[in-house]
Amino acid sequence: MYKSITISKGSGGWGGPLTIMPTANCNKIVSVTGGGIHPVAIKIAEMTGCEAIDGFTTAIPDDQILVAVVDCGGTARCGVYPKKNIFTVNLTPVGKVGPLAQFISENLYVSAVNESCLTYAPEGTPLTSKDGSNVGAAQIATNKSSEPKTKAQARAELAKMNAGKEKNFITKLGIGVGGVVNKFYQAGRETIDMVVKTILPFMAFVSMIIGIISASGIGDIIAHTISPLASTLPGMLVISVVCSLPFISPVIGPGAVIAQVVGTLLGVEIGLGHIPAQYALPALFAINAQVGGDFVPVGLSLGEADPETIELGVPAVLYSRVITGPLSVIIAYIFSFGMYM
Amino acid sequence: MEFIAGLANGFMELFKAGAATFAAWVAGIIPLIVVLMTAVSAVIKLIGEERVHALAKQATKNIITRYTILPILAVLFLGNPMCYSFGRFVEPKHKPSFYDATVSFLHPVTGLFPHANGGELFVYMGIAAGITTLGLPLGELAVRYFLVGIVVIFIRGVVTEKIYASMKAKEEK
Repeated sequence: MYKSITISKGSGGWGGPLTIMPTANCNKIVSVTGGGIHPVAIKIAEMTGCEAIDGFTTAIPDDQILVAVVDCGGTARCGVYPKKNIFTVNLTPVGKVGPLAQFISENLYVSAVNESCLTYAPEGTPLTSKDGSNVGAAQIATNKSSEPKTKAQARAELAKMNAGKEKNFITKLGIGVGGVVNKFYQAGRETIDMVVKTILPFMAFVSMIIGIISASGIGDIIAHTISPLASTLPGMLVISVVCSLPFISPVIGPGAVIAQVVGTLLGVEIGLGHIPAQYALPALFAINAQVGGDFVPVGLSLGEADPETIELGVPAVLYSRVITGPLSVIIAYIFSFGMYM
Repeated sequence: MEFIAGLANGFMELFKAGAATFAAWVAGIIPLIVVLMTAVSAVIKLIGEERVHALAKQATKNIITRYTILPILAVLFLGNPMCYSFGRFVEPKHKPSFYDATVSFLHPVTGLFPHANGGELFVYMGIAAGITTLGLPLGELAVRYFLVGIVVIFIRGVVTEKIYASMKAKEEK
């Protein structure tokens, strides 16, 4: 027996509330969080009568997913499921951000959710429809059917007006330049958006950590532990092996946050001369052997892989990393000869 | 009273170091990134994603280009995370290895083309900041990172393809 529940945002969260009801076909709660099925996904499944599924081990066709539970810090995953028009529950307090921010809407997405945010919906509560997006889609569809007509009409009118006089070189040039300028402007807008929404917040957070580390003396401890490790080839191989272990790589992957923080810390040590400059290259590969280990099922589904491929593909990628992680460090080490000498 | 004032000063000191770091990054990294990202993504827009589709389809046939040219095109033209959508051009049995190659190129690309993965710049930028502190030029590191990246994604692609194939064969038995 399926029951409908309401999922509200937690403190600092965004979006929702979502009132959802499973159907016979659409009744899976997919947990794409790494490290097993998240308790929130289990609770949602219990309350609604759905089945909770680990998105890393089992792949589910999109149309059977009622809710996707993610723990995305705002880089990619939080937008992937809304883009597919699937209800998305984010465990971290992240709003409408990331490269797919435009797809994140209040009737598809709710964040900072914990178990206390889940309640049974009182009878008669209207279900949250994905209408906001559906209506949008419908509008686009109607536009599509009407627009070509008007465009064609406009073109016909233009053709009438222009009959006899062909567009001269200057006009063509003007139109061309206009198009190019527009694209440059759009590129600028996207860049600033990216800087404000992702790069600056990251700088704020990391410089705070770096500041505390260097002012409090923890920096010296790191200098004495990580620096020796990252300034020898065997040390870096150890780092890459640890990062690529199949049960560790999906956990430390999200948003590359850990790799970015470690990269920054190593940068500080390189700047201080504790780690030789030419080790920068192998270090880049050592601290990032896990890259994308958390994103395999999502990335594969973006590449239109079928569920069977995803199911075997996830472990294939993770196992492969154990070999290619350390190997990439060795290759980078060889390529670093002669750099900054 | 003095003790409390001393405590407050110590507390502020803790964050002054962070503030200095933040100011240095905003002044030193952001301007170049903004201009570079704008320029590259404008050029990418002018060329257009559709125009590279034919080339991408060609690149799927050969094992070498499948794990070099194809991921590079995907990452440069679509960036993170839409680059994986080029996976639709490859056969199902090559999708996991294509994913592995593509995701592994998302960081080596940032040294030269930060637009492709603007949200995760600091894997490279963090380490590069140390090189800058030493007064050394970044070009050498960025180019080598890019080139080693190509070698690594090729190897990852091939290794993952083999592992996937053997797992698939085992499952079918």
